[in-house]
Amino acid sequence: MTDDVKVKEKTETLESLRKADDDLRLPAVPERTIFPKEIGIAEAREQTPAVGQRATRPDGRMHGLGQTKYIDDMFFPGMLHAKIKRAGISHARIKSIDVSEAEKMPGVMATVIGKEIPVNSFGPSYQDQPLLADEIVRHAGDGVAAVAAVTEQQALDALEKIKVEYEELTPVYDPLEAMKDDAVKIHNGESNVYSTKTIKKGDVEKGFEESDHIFEGTFTTQMVEHVPMEPHASIAEWDANGRVTIHTSLGRITLGRADISRTLELPINRIRIVATVVGGNFGGKNEITTEPILALLSKKTGRPVKSVYTREDEFISSTTRHPFIMEYKTGMSKEGKILARKVRLVCDGGAYCSWSETTLGKACILSAGPYNIDNLHVDAYAVYTNKTMTGAMRGFGAPQVCFAYESHMDDMAKALGIEPVELRLKNTFDEGSASPTGQVLEAVVVRDSLEMATERFGWQEWQK
Amino acid sequence: MRHRGKGVGCMWYPIGFTVLANPSAATVKVNEDGTATLLTGTVETGQGSLTVLGQIAAEELGISTDDVHVVSADTDTTPMDTGAIASRTTYVTGNAIKLAAENAKQILFEVAAPMLDVRPDQLEAVDRKIQVQYFPQRCLPIADVALQAQFVMGRPPIGSASYNPPTVAMDSETGQGKPFSTYVYATQCAEVEVDDETGEVDVIYMSAAHDCGTAINPMLVEGQIEGGISMGLGYALQEEMLFDDDGKQINPNLTNYIMPTSLDMPEIDVDIVENFDPTGPFGAKGVGEPTAVPTAAAICNAIHDAVGVRITSLPATAEKVLKAIKERDGGEQKALPAAE
Repeated sequence: MTDDVKVKEKTETLESLRKADDDLRLPAVPERTIFPKEIGIAEAREQTPAVGQRATRPDGRMHGLGQTKYIDDMFFPGMLHAKIKRAGISHARIKSIDVSEAEKMPGVMATVIGKEIPVNSFGPSYQDQPLLADEIVRHAGDGVAAVAAVTEQQALDALEKIKVEYEELTPVYDPLEAMKDDAVKIHNGESNVYSTKTIKKGDVEKGFEESDHIFEGTFTTQMVEHVPMEPHASIAEWDANGRVTIHTSLGRITLGRADISRTLELPINRIRIVATVVGGNFGGKNEITTEPILALLSKKTGRPVKSVYTREDEFISSTTRHPFIMEYKTGMSKEGKILARKVRLVCDGGAYCSWSETTLGKACILSAGPYNIDNLHVDAYAVYTNKTMTGAMRGFGAPQVCFAYESHMDDMAKALGIEPVELRLKNTFDEGSASPTGQVLEAVVVRDSLEMATERFGWQEWQK
Repeated sequence: MRHRGKGVGCMWYPIGFTVLANPSAATVKVNEDGTATLLTGTVETGQGSLTVLGQIAAEELGISTDDVHVVSADTDTTPMDTGAIASRTTYVTGNAIKLAAENAKQILFEVAAPMLDVRPDQLEAVDRKIQVQYFPQRCLPIADVALQAQFVMGRPPIGSASYNPPTVAMDSETGQGKPFSTYVYATQCAEVEVDDETGEVDVIYMSAAHDCGTAINPMLVEGQIEGGISMGLGYALQEEMLFDDDGKQINPNLTNYIMPTSLDMPEIDVDIVENFDPTGPFGAKGVGEPTAVPTAAAICNAIHDAVGVRITSLPATAEKVLKAIKERDGGEQKALPAAE
């Protein structure tokens, strides 16, 4: 590969860059890769019965030998690279987007803005998120335009030439502020609260009256990223039959295909999604991101178009884990039985709904913990704020509420003078217990897991 | 001075979507040599799900894991699947695969029955053989039956099926309903060392006992648990996305967004709680997400045990722990304010 590509691409015309473009393609005869051709199959893979075997993974060998092909390892002839311009402002009305200067930049083959996308919205519960913001920017990581160029660097350079005029709007970042009636509305609608969930079981007030002790606690959690080793990446190729093939790091291809079909107004059978081995998902790759944008860029240029998020893109524009504000109030008998519990959950949903509705529902159900509580009342709210949107992440609201109900449990154990594990054992679900939603549970082993983990830990004998 | 403490975190977690349909479909093709190909629309996202799904198909057909090749994640060729989400793959996709393999096996049984002079319902598939139940000496290699089925009887042994977990919608007023088909349970215990001069927390040891129903592949279950703990540890002590006053992130990079490395990982003992869920494939449920759930709770409870301060806002960074210790020493027993 030529070293002067980077210098050239800033100055030269497209014609003179053809050579550099050729150099960037895969050579006609790929380099010979050397790896052991004879494979020894692990015994556990060959044994029957198969269930219960510690069978090794076939992809493990590929990973170990460096042979796994992630999206970034894939090259197609003539492939272009796409980059997305981020708003960098958290709440604003877009007055105009001018891509004309960017289109004149060396190596640039096409641009796309939100207005060019046939149906510029998506989302698993509510379709409230644009692929590229076209009217309102709702968080600083919102994309506003995309560029496809011969090299990544050229695409990046062209982004700087895109001119966007904004009219700043008042932002709101705190979910409790955003819940107030007079708060700025982030989406059209009467409230920033876009989902509420309730669970009511028994009579919580009566339960508190019958309690010997009442405990209260407020707990909060932070926003975190999935940080998968492989960032979001995809390649789209629009063919001469008007069919688009997308190689992508999506963890949910069937429904992703439906979303792409909806945004591009293409019949589903004209879209093919091929997922590779995904380099970590943790919930962050359950939605489409750039796929329809790349498809449109490919349609415009007649070339395959690739996009790989940088780590910064990953942080500022992909989904994250919801910060929660959790208020707990629990009534206890003096023997340590939970008699009543009231919970209020506020989930900071960020700029778009994404999977918040589902996350909120799960958190609501799980917020009582694996304990028998006859009198329970949970109210939960998901709220829009002008921050990076929160979505699916390993645990779907459970790590947040578990941190709250288990911290609360230990505080109560201390106050009651009951050993923490003992207090849990007094209250855990058993076979046939009714869940907060009244579901009769089977194959319940909370007690066994408590006993097993504490025994392995040496809980009883453990000394400071 | 460094203080040691122990803490426990206990949790429950559901498998699959809340109420909403989340089906999976699968196709199992038995080749004429007795090996098989499995088509699934789910995606391998690093957790080893394709290996587990292959094991489920293999178990139903009485062949080994290596006898099954898994083709996945191409919308042109593989059947519908809701995807690698909601800890549903082993349970939902696994159930679909088990049913698909059963359908393929039924064709093998119907072809083998006259060859073995019994009825199809008297047969079972074990150790790469189709044999008569309770009379195993009358048997045929699965390869012979598959060849016979494909090229003599003209009935390729291919089975397709789908599965969707049964749920009951929740009442909008009270939330009462059956939102999930099944749940898993787990406990993690943490031992920490807290430096009362710096507020730094060191997680020294963790024990984890997780229920996943039948462990289809115990090695992969252990891998999930260890990975989940590393994620939970970052959540408990280090990771936090920070914003400036203009709503821009100030640490969108791995230099300033601190994640646990191998040096931060404690020694971990993993136990799989023996369980069998009659609704899961061979009794299996799932394990993906729950592994990251109780870690932060266990660690914060251990911090409380070590130095007597209650961290009420994650992450329990050294600054936050030190501030809480100072407040405690100042005579105030109050917990940290909820929000910053």
